[in-house]
Amino acid sequence: MDLFSNLALGLATAVEPINLLYCLIGVVIGTAIGVLPGIGPIPTVALLLPFTFGLDATSAFIMLAGIFYGAQYGGSTTAILVNVPGETSSVVTCLDGHKMAQQGRAGPALAIAAISSFYAGTIATVVICLLSLPLSALALKFTAVEYFSLLVLGLLAAVVLAHGSVMKALAMVLLGLLLGLIGIDVSSGAARMTFGVAELGDGIDFVPVAMGLFGLGEIMANLERPPVRQVVSQKVRDLIPSWADLKASFPAMTRGTLIGCILGVLPGGGAALPPFTAYAVEKKLSKNKAMFGHGAIEGVAAPEAANNAGAQTSFIPLLTLGIPANALMALMIGALMMHGIQPGPQIMTEQPQLVWGVIASMWVGNLMLLVINLPLVGIWVSMLKIPYRLMFPAIALLCCIGTYGIANSVFNIWLMLGCALVGYFFIKVGAEPAPLLLGLVLGPQLEENFRRAMLLSDGDLLVFLQRPISAVLLVVAAMLILVLLSPTVFRKRKEALAE
Amino acid sequence: MLRSLCLLVMAALVGAALQPSAAEAQSFTRAVRIVVPYAPGGSSDILARLIAPKLQEAIGQAVVVENKPGGSGNIGADAVAKAAKDGHTLLLLDVGTLALAPSLFADLTFDPQKDLAPVGMIMFAPYVLAVAPQLPVKSVAELVAYAKANPGKVAVANSGIGGMNHVTPIRIGKALGIEWKNVPYRGGAAATRAVVSGESQVIFNGVSGSLQFVKNGQLVGLAVSGPARLASVPDLPTFDEAKLPAGDSGTWQGLMVTAGSPPELIAKLDAELRKILANPDIAQKIADLGGTVKADGPAAFKAWLAENVKTLGEVVRENGIKGE
Repeated sequence: MDLFSNLALGLATAVEPINLLYCLIGVVIGTAIGVLPGIGPIPTVALLLPFTFGLDATSAFIMLAGIFYGAQYGGSTTAILVNVPGETSSVVTCLDGHKMAQQGRAGPALAIAAISSFYAGTIATVVICLLSLPLSALALKFTAVEYFSLLVLGLLAAVVLAHGSVMKALAMVLLGLLLGLIGIDVSSGAARMTFGVAELGDGIDFVPVAMGLFGLGEIMANLERPPVRQVVSQKVRDLIPSWADLKASFPAMTRGTLIGCILGVLPGGGAALPPFTAYAVEKKLSKNKAMFGHGAIEGVAAPEAANNAGAQTSFIPLLTLGIPANALMALMIGALMMHGIQPGPQIMTEQPQLVWGVIASMWVGNLMLLVINLPLVGIWVSMLKIPYRLMFPAIALLCCIGTYGIANSVFNIWLMLGCALVGYFFIKVGAEPAPLLLGLVLGPQLEENFRRAMLLSDGDLLVFLQRPISAVLLVVAAMLILVLLSPTVFRKRKEALAE
Repeated sequence: MLRSLCLLVMAALVGAALQPSAAEAQSFTRAVRIVVPYAPGGSSDILARLIAPKLQEAIGQAVVVENKPGGSGNIGADAVAKAAKDGHTLLLLDVGTLALAPSLFADLTFDPQKDLAPVGMIMFAPYVLAVAPQLPVKSVAELVAYAKANPGKVAVANSGIGGMNHVTPIRIGKALGIEWKNVPYRGGAAATRAVVSGESQVIFNGVSGSLQFVKNGQLVGLAVSGPARLASVPDLPTFDEAKLPAGDSGTWQGLMVTAGSPPELIAKLDAELRKILANPDIAQKIADLGGTVKADGPAAFKAWLAENVKTLGEVVRENGIKGE
C-alpha cells in the first residue's frame, strides 16, 4: 500500500498551484525548444538553472523535468513537418512521419505523435512507481560485457529498419561506425583521424550531422522540385487521425512504451536506442511492412511512445541510485546539488515529497502537453502553407543557430553544411541516413565497452557467452542475422520493395 | 556671485567627466565572459554560475558564463589564452587538468603558465578512496595487501585518460609497488556506476560523487585526500594518516584570465573573488559540491601551478601516459 500513499503524496505535491504553474512553464518552454531545430533541452536547462535558485527544490525540479519531456514532444513536430530531427530521439520519427506529411497527412501524424507520447507517459509514470527499485537493480547488472552485446543487437536492428537495399544499409552503418571513431579514444587517450583539428577531439557531434543529413539535405533536394510542396500544403484539411489510424497505432504504442521503459533505464544507451529498437520491432511485426518508410502510422506511434517512455524512465537511475543515465540527467544532478540535495540512493527516503512529486508531475505534465499540443496541430500544419522560399532560409538559419549553440562553436556550422552536401548525395543515390546516425552514436560506445570488457577479462572473448544476459542478447542478434540471410526473407523484401 | 561659483563647479564637473580618471582606466568597460571549458552541469559550471551574478553586482558590468567544451578543456582554455589582453575574458576550470595538459599533449596550442594569468584558486574538493563492497578489504592497509597479493587483478576506475584520478592511482601504485589495472570510463558518473556494480573495484572520486554511496553501503570508503579528515565521514583517515602518498590529490578549481591583462584589473578581480568567496552562502554551496573554499590569490595559485606542472609532468612522462 506504500505505492498508493506515495502516489497520493506525489499527486498532492504536483497539483499545488505553484507546482502546476512551474510544470506548465516547463512543458511550454520544452515544447518551444523542441520545435526549434537544434536548440536542445541541455543548453536550455543549463541556462535556466540559475533562475531556479530562488525556487523551492521540488518546483525547480518539476520545471526542469517538464522542459526535458516537453522537448520530446516538440522535437517530433519539426521531424514530421520539415524532416529536421533536432534530437537523436526524433530521427526515426522523420522516416514515416515526414512521409505522412508529404502525403498530406501531417495532421494525423502530429496527433498520433502527441497521443502516443501521452499514452507512453502515463504508462511510464506507473512503471516508475511500481518498478523503480527492481529496474535499477537491472541497470546495475549491465556491465561492459552486457552493453557490448546490447549494442551489437541495436546496430543489427539498424540494418533491419532501413528500407531499401541491405547492402546500402550495411554500408551506412559502417560509415557511421567509422565516423564515430573520430576523436580521442577513451581507452588509450590517442587522438584518431582528427588531422590536428582540436574541435574533432571529442568526436563528431551528433546534432550537426543529423541536421545536415536529414534537414538541409532534404531541403536541397526539395529545391529541385518545388511543385511537390504545393501538393503538401493543399491536402492538410483532415487533421484528426481516423479510427483506423488509432486502431493500427494502439498495439504499436504499447510495444513502443514497453521497449522505451526498459531501454530508458539503462545508462549510456541514451536517447537513440529506444525509438530505433521500437521501430525495428514494429517493422518486423507489422502486417503491412511495405508501408514502413512510406508513411506508416505505426512507424510514428511506436518510436514516439518509446522515446517518451525512455525519457521518463531515464529518471529511475537518477532517483534510485543517484547515477545519471545521460548528459541531461547529469545536469539534473547538478541542479539538485545546487539546491543542497545530495542525489543518491537515500534520496527516495529523505526527500519523498520531491521524488514522488516529480514523478506525479510527469503525468500531470504529459496531460498538459496533450492539451497544449492537440489544438496546436492545426497551427503547425498551417505553417506548411508558408511559401517554401520563406521557409527554407528560416529553417537553415535556425539550424545554424542551433548547431552553433551546442558548444558555441563555428566549426559545428561548417560540419553541418558539409553534411548537407553529403545528405543531398545520399538522397540522390537512395541511401538511408538513419543507420549512419545510429552507427555514429553507438559506435564509440560499442568500441569502448568491448575494449573495457577485454581489459577487465584479460582478453577472454568467452566472457560474452558466459554472462547470461549478454549470451541471450547475442543469441537474439544471431537469430536476426539468420533471418536477414534466409532466402525467403530476401525474396519477401524484394517483393515488398517492388510494390 | 553664487551663480559664477555654480558655473565654476559645473565646469569642473564637466572637465572631470571628459577626462578619463585613473580609476576609470582600471575599471570594466563592457560585458565580462567567464569561459567554462566543459559542458554545463559539472562543478566548474556550477561554480561559474554561482559567482557570475555576484561579480556582476561588484563590477557593474554584465558577467556571462559561456560553455566551450571539448579537448579535455583545452579548446576553452585556448580561446581565453588568445583573447584580447584586457581582462574581460575569464577562465574557470579544473586546474589539475590544466597542470597536466602540457605533459599530456605534445601539440598543446597554448602554455598554461605563459598565456594565462592566475586570478585565484576557488575551491579544493578532496578525493574519497572507495572500493566495491565485494572486494574483501575494509582498510587501506588491507587494500594494499590485497592488491599486492593479486597483481594485475584489481581494477581502478578513472573518469578519463590523463585526468587527475587516472594519475593518482598511478602515483600510489608506483610508490607502494602495487600493480593494478587502470580502467578508463567516460566521466566520473560512469566510473562510479562501474564500481557500485562491481565491474571495477576501486575509485578515487570527489566527495559529491562518492559520499552517498559510501554512506549507503554501496561503496566502502577507505580514506580521504586533503589536509584533514572530513566532518561528513569522520571515521575515514586522511591519505597521510593511512600512509598513502599523493595526499594532495583532488579537484582544484581556479579562475584565470588572459595573460598580459592590466594588473589593476587582475587585482580588482582577485579582491572581488575573495569577497564573494567570503560570503557564507557561497561557502555553503561550495561545501554542497564537496569542497572547501580556497581563496589565496594569484601568487599562491601561480606557485601551485608551477609545482604541479612539474610533479604531475614527471608522473606522466615516467609512465608513458599519452593524451594524444
